[in-house]
Amino acid sequence: MVNDSGQLYTMEGVAAGVIMLLTAYIVISTTSIYTPGDTHIPDMQLEQLGSDVLAMMDTPDTNGVKSDLEKFVVGDDSAGFEGMFLGYCNAKAIGADNLHMSANVTYRDASSNEIRDYPLVGPDNTWTGRESAVRVTRWMELEGNPSGVSGMDPSRPRVVLVEVLLWRA
Amino acid sequence: MSLDFLAGFTIFMLALIMVVSMVPGLLAGLESSGIDYDAVAYRTGVILVEDPGWPVYPPWEMNDLAHKGEIERIGLAVSKETPNILLSTKVDAFFNDSFFDRDDYRRLAIFGDIPYSYNFSLSSGGALIEQTGDLLPPGYGYIRRVVKIKEPAVAVINGSFAPQYTAASSNQEFIVRLDFGQLLDPTIGPAYRIDPRTEPVNVTITDFGEYLNMTEPSVTNATLKSVTFWKMDPTRPIPQFTRIPFAYNIIDSNLYTLYIGGNQNPYSLRPDGGVEVSDNISLVLKPAATSLFTLDQNSILDIRFNFDDDPSRTNITGIHHYDYNQTNVTRPDLKPGVLEVAVW
Repeated sequence: MVNDSGQLYTMEGVAAGVIMLLTAYIVISTTSIYTPGDTHIPDMQLEQLGSDVLAMMDTPDTNGVKSDLEKFVVGDDSAGFEGMFLGYCNAKAIGADNLHMSANVTYRDASSNEIRDYPLVGPDNTWTGRESAVRVTRWMELEGNPSGVSGMDPSRPRVVLVEVLLWRA
Repeated sequence: MSLDFLAGFTIFMLALIMVVSMVPGLLAGLESSGIDYDAVAYRTGVILVEDPGWPVYPPWEMNDLAHKGEIERIGLAVSKETPNILLSTKVDAFFNDSFFDRDDYRRLAIFGDIPYSYNFSLSSGGALIEQTGDLLPPGYGYIRRVVKIKEPAVAVINGSFAPQYTAASSNQEFIVRLDFGQLLDPTIGPAYRIDPRTEPVNVTITDFGEYLNMTEPSVTNATLKSVTFWKMDPTRPIPQFTRIPFAYNIIDSNLYTLYIGGNQNPYSLRPDGGVEVSDNISLVLKPAATSLFTLDQNSILDIRFNFDDDPSRTNITGIHHYDYNQTNVTRPDLKPGVLEVAVW
């Protein structure tokens, strides 16, 4: 039986619904969704750059010769690696960037069957540990043993992982 | 009471569903312009550096102004298997402002919904070698890609080849032979391949005095009568060379350039009355011409230099193979460079 009291209840329900609807709409439409400081954009750019540089260092300039990357790793040429890597990284049409790096090589120690790594290029004095550094890697096949590294199986070609930590100082 | 509650709750649920369905639209307004520009720059950089463009064969860079509309996408990579290795002929075509206008760059490289401004630059060895676009304002989207640039091979036939390519009873014909079966060998990667279908063929004969017939004491030059193109398909029965029909009389720098000596004006492949050569000949056969020859991976292409003097004023003869032998053809090393894309 509908009476005034029932109509009031209905109007109250409708009004409550509208209020809740408006509240939900206002809350959602005014909420700001923050991306984490947009830091992923420079990080992505830096990762792409580092990845490009490693790929180009691993591309021989002429057919049938070893790549610069392989020569640096096999020869344990820290200065050569750093010089070429930063040379590519910092090159711009106008001016130069200010990137810094360190690099590690990870390999399997055949004698102990363990995964080990050694520093190819140590961090310079701009490294404090608080930098927003990115890590780029490249698997590469070596035909010779890196000098000064024991435990690598010299009987066959082997694969090592070159990891570079890259940051802007 | 329960009926009222049911009605109210139903209205609320319907409204809530409507609001939730609008949430993606609400969030669309949150994207910042900075992120958008960086994303567009990144996408453009990927297209330019990792893609050879479309069409591939014949490649987009061979299209002339009349066929510019057939280009669907500009990419600079040698092939899709060789990202970051750029082909110099594509680079030259891309940075040609007189060929591409602003709308072309937006339509074929940036693919944006709005008319973005842009700045593309390519530098190598610390020097800017190519650039197009506007001055950079604050707040632009940016990506930098490290690349290597593949430049075309050059056959320089200098005086050191004279003992090999001279004979007293010369027929006054010198041939440069391109065996596509060797050149397009799939075991040679695209980054190092000599592919006349996409790159110019450069033939330079220098020290021509070494090839003159010195038994005639007064000879200081010889007359180049014509340069002709011949082809053979070894897979056909009774293979033989046939002369390729071509507009030998017409100078067209889109198809070839022929320079004699220090003269800055190009010659046609069949100069009227011949042209006297005393020091060098430089022929560049462009991919646009090679594509007209309908060559495939089995074809052999001859470039024949015919001299015509009576008595003979040159002893040049023989066949120079345009191949992977570094003595015959100089292949430049891949050149490191940096491609920068800025979009705003």
